[in-house]
Amino acid sequence: MMTAEYDLHALAGPYAMDAVSDEESASFTEHLAGCEQCRDDVREMREATARLGIAAAVRPRPELREQTIRAALSTAQLAPVVSAARDSRTCLMADEKKEKPLRRLAWRIRSARPAVRISLAAAAVLAVAAAVLGGMTSSAVRQLDHSRHQEHMIAAVLNAPDKVMLTARVVTGGTATVVMSHEARAAVFTAHDLVALPSTESYEIWLMGPTGERAAGMVRPQAGGMAGPTIVSGLRPGDMIGVTVEPAGGSSRPTSVIVVVFKPGQ
Amino acid sequence: MPDGEGGRLVAGPRSGPALGDLISSVALGDERAYEAFYDQSSGWVLGTVRRVLRDPAQAEEVMQEVLLEIWRSASRFDPAQGSAVSWVMTIAHRRAVDRVRSERSHANREQRAATAVIDYDDVTEAVEASLDRERVQRCLGSLTELQRECVGLAYYSGYTYREVAELLGVPAGTVKTRMRDGLIRLRDCLGVA
Repeated sequence: MMTAEYDLHALAGPYAMDAVSDEESASFTEHLAGCEQCRDDVREMREATARLGIAAAVRPRPELREQTIRAALSTAQLAPVVSAARDSRTCLMADEKKEKPLRRLAWRIRSARPAVRISLAAAAVLAVAAAVLGGMTSSAVRQLDHSRHQEHMIAAVLNAPDKVMLTARVVTGGTATVVMSHEARAAVFTAHDLVALPSTESYEIWLMGPTGERAAGMVRPQAGGMAGPTIVSGLRPGDMIGVTVEPAGGSSRPTSVIVVVFKPGQ
Repeated sequence: MPDGEGGRLVAGPRSGPALGDLISSVALGDERAYEAFYDQSSGWVLGTVRRVLRDPAQAEEVMQEVLLEIWRSASRFDPAQGSAVSWVMTIAHRRAVDRVRSERSHANREQRAATAVIDYDDVTEAVEASLDRERVQRCLGSLTELQRECVGLAYYSGYTYREVAELLGVPAGTVKTRMRDGLIRLRDCLGVA
């Protein structure tokens, strides 16, 4: 066994340079999961090999710049992974576990750019989102019929020229999307694959501005973790939209970890 | 694109806006950030890919694939797993190697072996001399000859350690450890740990 172990460790160098077969790569990747030393080795070696690449830099033909950028803008992007945390409630109970996801969230919020421009790609995704939202009017939105106002607000947001769509992974599971418009002073919130909560708890949406958080509605996932479309009204420039897990009746202030956050454009 | 910044192409991660910050903005679909990212890293990516592939047209194609991949998966960059430069270059190298291997699987191995070149000190068509390049060359020069050959054939030519062993007529186990030792020495010399 010692020999096999040793052989695997020795693969760190070839692995860091992609100089292994596909099978070896797979078994070493598996080995890495349980070998912190190996992970550190590979990480450090790759910092070194990156410089080998940089030392070989050549200037691309100028035409390639626009071509590449144009191609990128019409390519859909993978949704952000907000945090590796699995369960915010567990994190709240265990202080030492709580810190990491919070810090990562803070990092995400910091790194979020204030103005997210609608690129071609985003516009395409937006069209899909609008179609999904539109498709839901027949079934899901029927339940919202008591509130014509909501539908009008949703239509106003989706038709606003300054609408912006953002999608993010929910820390506790699922994906949330907001389409927001400062002109309409509102956002439309939808989510899918949300984790079901006990009947005593519910997701709550918050508008988080410079002067504090304002409760902006409860989100109750339906079958399949689908939620919304829900209108979030009273959006002000500079507001972020966040979601927390709260007691079923809602809270006047957020009392748990933010499970997803969006920073709208200015 | 500010043309006078060509020197940046070969500079390390310390110059210009931090690459990691650019990638975080790119993850949010920020077009300007992507342009800045392109300006900072396209030369690194093309250089790496071209060393491995040798064919300039294919290299351009793969460079574009790599930069698209980074646009697409920018949200997956995790600073806790290593630097932004390392993330980008790992993707670039992986792509180049994938391409060259699928080519080689159709090609005559003997012929390839005969034309394998270890030109670590012959950085062709480099943008311009830079402190970073000099440092890398100096550090490569500090490796033993076998370490340097192993690292060069793997990184710059995209061979597996078994292929390198065949090319050099050295046991595969020896090549494995030379690669590891060579990279550790390189890492220490470059001070990038």
